[in-house]
Amino acid sequence: MATTTTSPSSSLTVLQSFDVFGADLDDHNERRERLIKASRDITNLSKKVIFLLHRLARGRADSKVDERTSYKQAAQQGYEKLREIQDLYAKLQPELESERFWRYQRQVSPGLQEYIEALSFAHYLDHGSLITFDEVQKTLMTPEGVEYFPLTLSDYLLGLSDLTGELMRFAISGIANKGGRKRATEVCAFVRRCKSDFEGMTPYIRELRKKQSVTTQSLEKIEDDDGALTEPSASGFFSTPAAYAIVVRSSEYDLPPEILEDIVAQSVSNYNSYSHETRGRRRDGLTGSDDEDEAM
Amino acid sequence: MESSELERINYLLDRDVDIREKIKEQVNELDKKTRVMVGLLNKIHSTPADAMPILIDSVRPILLSCRDVTTTLARIIPENQFWRWKDMWSNSIRTAVFAAILIEYLSSRTLLSIAQSAEILGITADWSDRMALPAEDYLHALISLVNELSRLAVNAVTLGNFEEPIKISLFVKELFAGFSVLNLKNDALRRRFDSLKYDIKKIEEVVYDVSLRKLAEVPSPKSVESSIG
Repeated sequence: MATTTTSPSSSLTVLQSFDVFGADLDDHNERRERLIKASRDITNLSKKVIFLLHRLARGRADSKVDERTSYKQAAQQGYEKLREIQDLYAKLQPELESERFWRYQRQVSPGLQEYIEALSFAHYLDHGSLITFDEVQKTLMTPEGVEYFPLTLSDYLLGLSDLTGELMRFAISGIANKGGRKRATEVCAFVRRCKSDFEGMTPYIRELRKKQSVTTQSLEKIEDDDGALTEPSASGFFSTPAAYAIVVRSSEYDLPPEILEDIVAQSVSNYNSYSHETRGRRRDGLTGSDDEDEAM
Repeated sequence: MESSELERINYLLDRDVDIREKIKEQVNELDKKTRVMVGLLNKIHSTPADAMPILIDSVRPILLSCRDVTTTLARIIPENQFWRWKDMWSNSIRTAVFAAILIEYLSSRTLLSIAQSAEILGITADWSDRMALPAEDYLHALISLVNELSRLAVNAVTLGNFEEPIKISLFVKELFAGFSVLNLKNDALRRRFDSLKYDIKKIEEVVYDVSLRKLAEVPSPKSVESSIG
């Protein structure tokens, strides 16, 4: 073909090639949207599983069954629910085939981390340990062992990092129950171990550092909020008695553990009504000063 | 975490760091090449038409040497991980593609296709999961080309080449029509595309000035048609 300015053939190919780009681009954008939507659905489902696990773990603590079995039962129900998410991932497999996964990793990641958080919580209730990388990947493959997509280290670690927050809530919310103090101490030790394991990895994974500081806050809430019983902080219920306070307080009493538990339960419920009152009063104080400002 | 698990994770993290460093090295290499090419290609604005081929020929060997980088990258990047790492070199590869299509336009007045661009950079289809030339990068390079040509339209006239702006105008309008076919979402490409109209306006003004003074013959729609036939 002669190389004259805008020969008819070149004009055809320019538009033709743009048609191809257009189709590719539309395809890409649509897939991206689908994956964002799926990720959001998975996030919601995962949150529901986490709530379910909290509810079951709390509810069972009062029942006659021993603690271990009741947690295992809660975990089983959690696993059941998580299967819905695994089915969603199975359906996404063709969207994330071969090199596509990394193209859409950023869209997949938020839901996946939430899923790992829920899964690792169930796993913790079941085994009292941290779920391994391979165990997570195993939930995301066909029965024949074909991965829906390759699990990334960053999603795995960030998902686990979120777990520590849930464990904190789990420990605190059950502290007034039978055996709650022992459990809080266990969880505390576990979260501490997680934190130190993750510490060395922070330089490698950008978002992990931020999550580590959240973990530190969680730890502090369980660990050393000793003023909580006497001096309620604005963060309210979750900063109530913690491991330290319990040890300090229990040394004051020369009582068998069962009676101590009753005392703790009593003080927690007292604290709750007290903290509501103070917060109410504080709010009144604020409005009072507002009025003064207006008067001026 | 079990210590064996911890060890494994740390090993995998270290491996990623290793890959990143190796890629970085190659990107630096590519950047060196593109800087030299862009430096040379800057001279098109002050080079008369008859000296252009020599200038272009001096850029070609550097352009072809980019193959070393793409080949090494394809070797470094693990299977299926092209999209994981590509942001590291997107800018550099866009500049390289820009140089390739500018050279092609100046020497043959035709648009280098995406497949041809990939070929010049030595990117082969069997690497597609590790090293490829995505449409997005190619389109970015096209926009850079239009930016550059709008300058050239002005500067060619300064050098007494009154035909150049007319050729550029026809070529750029075609590209613009092509871009208009795309449903761009609100990203960098879209913003750059939106700015194309200023380049086109600039070129049109030059064409207007040249034709008003009858310095060059602007092909009427009829004469374009006859040249097609």
